[in-house]
Amino acid sequence: MGQSLRLGPALCWLALSAPALADTPPTTQDLHLDPAWLTLMHYQQDTLGGGFTSQADDSAFFISDQGKHAPKAELEATLSAIQQPGSGDSHAQCRFPARTAWLKGQLNLSLPAVDCPAYESWTETLNTETVTLVFAASYLNSPSSMFGHTFLRLDPPQDDDETNLLLANTISYAADAAAHDSEILFAYKGIFGGYPGITSVQPYYEKIRLYSDIEHRDLWEYRLNLTQAEVDLLIAHAWEIRDHNFDYYFFDENCAYRLLALIDVARPGTNLLGEVSTHAIPSDTVRWVVDKDLVSDVYYRPSAATSVTYSLESLPEEQQTLAAAIANGYVDPNAQEIQQLAPRQRAHVLDATYDYVRYQSEADGWPREFAAPLSHNLLMARSDIDDAPAPQSPPQPEIRDDQGHNTFRASISAGQQAHREFTELTLRPAYHDVLDPPAGYRRGAQLQFLRLDARYYTDNDELQLEQLIGVEIRSLSPRDQFFSPLSWQVGFGGRRSDNGSKRVLTPYLEGGAGGSWLLGNHLQAFAIATADLEIDDDLRRGYDAAPGADIGLLHQGNRLSLIAGAKTKAWIVSSQHRQDEVYIKGNWHLGRAFSLFAEFTREDHYDRYQSTWQTGLHAYF
Amino acid sequence: MKKLIAGAILLGASSMALAQPGCGVGAMIWKGQSGIAPHVLAATTNGTFGNQTFGMTTGTLGCQTNESVQSMALYMDSNIDKVARDMSRGSGENLDTLAVLLGVDAADRDTFRKVLQDNFATIFPSSDTTSGEAVDAIVALLEQNQSLSKYVAA
Repeated sequence: MGQSLRLGPALCWLALSAPALADTPPTTQDLHLDPAWLTLMHYQQDTLGGGFTSQADDSAFFISDQGKHAPKAELEATLSAIQQPGSGDSHAQCRFPARTAWLKGQLNLSLPAVDCPAYESWTETLNTETVTLVFAASYLNSPSSMFGHTFLRLDPPQDDDETNLLLANTISYAADAAAHDSEILFAYKGIFGGYPGITSVQPYYEKIRLYSDIEHRDLWEYRLNLTQAEVDLLIAHAWEIRDHNFDYYFFDENCAYRLLALIDVARPGTNLLGEVSTHAIPSDTVRWVVDKDLVSDVYYRPSAATSVTYSLESLPEEQQTLAAAIANGYVDPNAQEIQQLAPRQRAHVLDATYDYVRYQSEADGWPREFAAPLSHNLLMARSDIDDAPAPQSPPQPEIRDDQGHNTFRASISAGQQAHREFTELTLRPAYHDVLDPPAGYRRGAQLQFLRLDARYYTDNDELQLEQLIGVEIRSLSPRDQFFSPLSWQVGFGGRRSDNGSKRVLTPYLEGGAGGSWLLGNHLQAFAIATADLEIDDDLRRGYDAAPGADIGLLHQGNRLSLIAGAKTKAWIVSSQHRQDEVYIKGNWHLGRAFSLFAEFTREDHYDRYQSTWQTGLHAYF
Repeated sequence: MKKLIAGAILLGASSMALAQPGCGVGAMIWKGQSGIAPHVLAATTNGTFGNQTFGMTTGTLGCQTNESVQSMALYMDSNIDKVARDMSRGSGENLDTLAVLLGVDAADRDTFRKVLQDNFATIFPSSDTTSGEAVDAIVALLEQNQSLSKYVAA
């Protein structure tokens, strides 16, 4: 950097301020409004007034004192600073290599050569040829992981046997939460600000351990088609933001957001940040990156959980039983039943059992006194088998997470409630329910945010808020002989509730837990014990609570998704009465952008029978 | 290149408290992760907590001076479960990573994998083996092998 010409800084400055000779004189006149400069400095246009504010919350990120709000002053200060003589890591050229490179290119500057030992050793160590965007997908029984997570992997040149992606470094941006903060405080500060966001560099194997082994999340690796020059700029900018604070906000300025900014810097004009409106869901940000033709190829890395499930499923049935028996300590890994298997099959059984024991130890906390000697015996037995093929890795899902339906849903429908006709409009900003097109999402998982249903009753021209869901999470994870996850649900919001005389909008809180069992490829049965709480001044005591149950069948197919079941609730506080309901709801998927839906419920409440039916169209965008 | 990789792995570990890799007992195999109970919100919102587990314990016995061996020791300390698994199978990406860290040439990779698989019981004699002991055993085994001894020469 800066090693071509060695003109004095004073001369440079003169040339800049009096650009009279060149045919198209480079000028700083409007350079501070260049999108590339605004991106490099993380400036965003203020909502009010025409000013700019940088998202960097750290004075050391700027050279000018007014840098946070003054793109022009910052640009001028930077220009002057990078042309100062001097050397060493504290020189502006060393602290801000991406800005230096960009200004140099824009203004044809001849900068003094500056030695930056720290930066140079950093880039040399990172040794990056290509950049890969890694997306950590959600895991079934953890709908809270549904939004996913993204980070960048810096891949070394892959021209010989010496390269290994496990050792490649990654760049990620995350909230630097104090370990002692409670989850409530964590959520509060995350939403309203208060956590510094930090950029960290870690080897990929550490990331794999966290996401793939501990959190059971599959990883999708999207190799970006950045040129070497663009990669260098990205690395240079990562250096600039590395130790600086950008306040972290879960919904918009989150892990994914800052990475988009890095890509925007690397390839000016990409403007990925322009896609962000109110929130940046990591899986959506992956879509944008794909849509902007930034991806050259995609690689799937199944999590430990996915691999062990696949490995167990691909065993013949009697060997599955054998694996379960070994894992539970009923059969020794060297027992006769195992020894008599052909070497290849024995290897498969031992491999699958070992992976299962490790998985259960991590996920279910099997005690070490039991799991460690068993693990050791399994590996000892396995090491005696030569030349058995490595376990097959699970196939890549046909539909990637970023190829699933879009997360914003709007629906229009018509129906009838107790003989009153209505039309209904529903808006749901995020994310997925069990009847939406399942491809690219985890089966049985549901996460809805801020869903609003508005009804217009045609008989008396009345517009009513039917329900407003704050959050609704549902996780129906099937149980089998190896895994016994809990199915659970939780939600809160406001909904119309029949108080005997009229339907009033009532705040509610609901939850439930139970089990779910696979009956076929796409079909599962579930049984959930539920609890409901409603608060309303029309109720005799101001609130009411109901234990209950929800039992049903769920089919999730690429063409048709269907749920049918029966719910019962026994209200016990303000008034003692039963509320029973049978329901069937179906969505017919027309590609991934639209679904036709219909639902019917019949309810017995306050000893009255009532039917509701409704049919309409969901659109995803 | 070898040096760069060693540098890369050390860069990642530089924030963690460690004296000198390849110089001490290291993590015990199948120790499990402490505090893995997923923070529900942390998983949603991708926070990072200060107390990331990294079970490095250091001692003064058996210091390895070879830089490649130090890198291998560091990697083993973080990934001992997976290294042991791949070793018992005689294949796998974690075994390949060890080969890369030691700079084992493509021509010697098969021998490398075979020696480690065949001597699994020597490398991991019990379920309480630590990564440091495993590293020492690997080095001793490779030293005895004609084609592999050059990779662990001090």
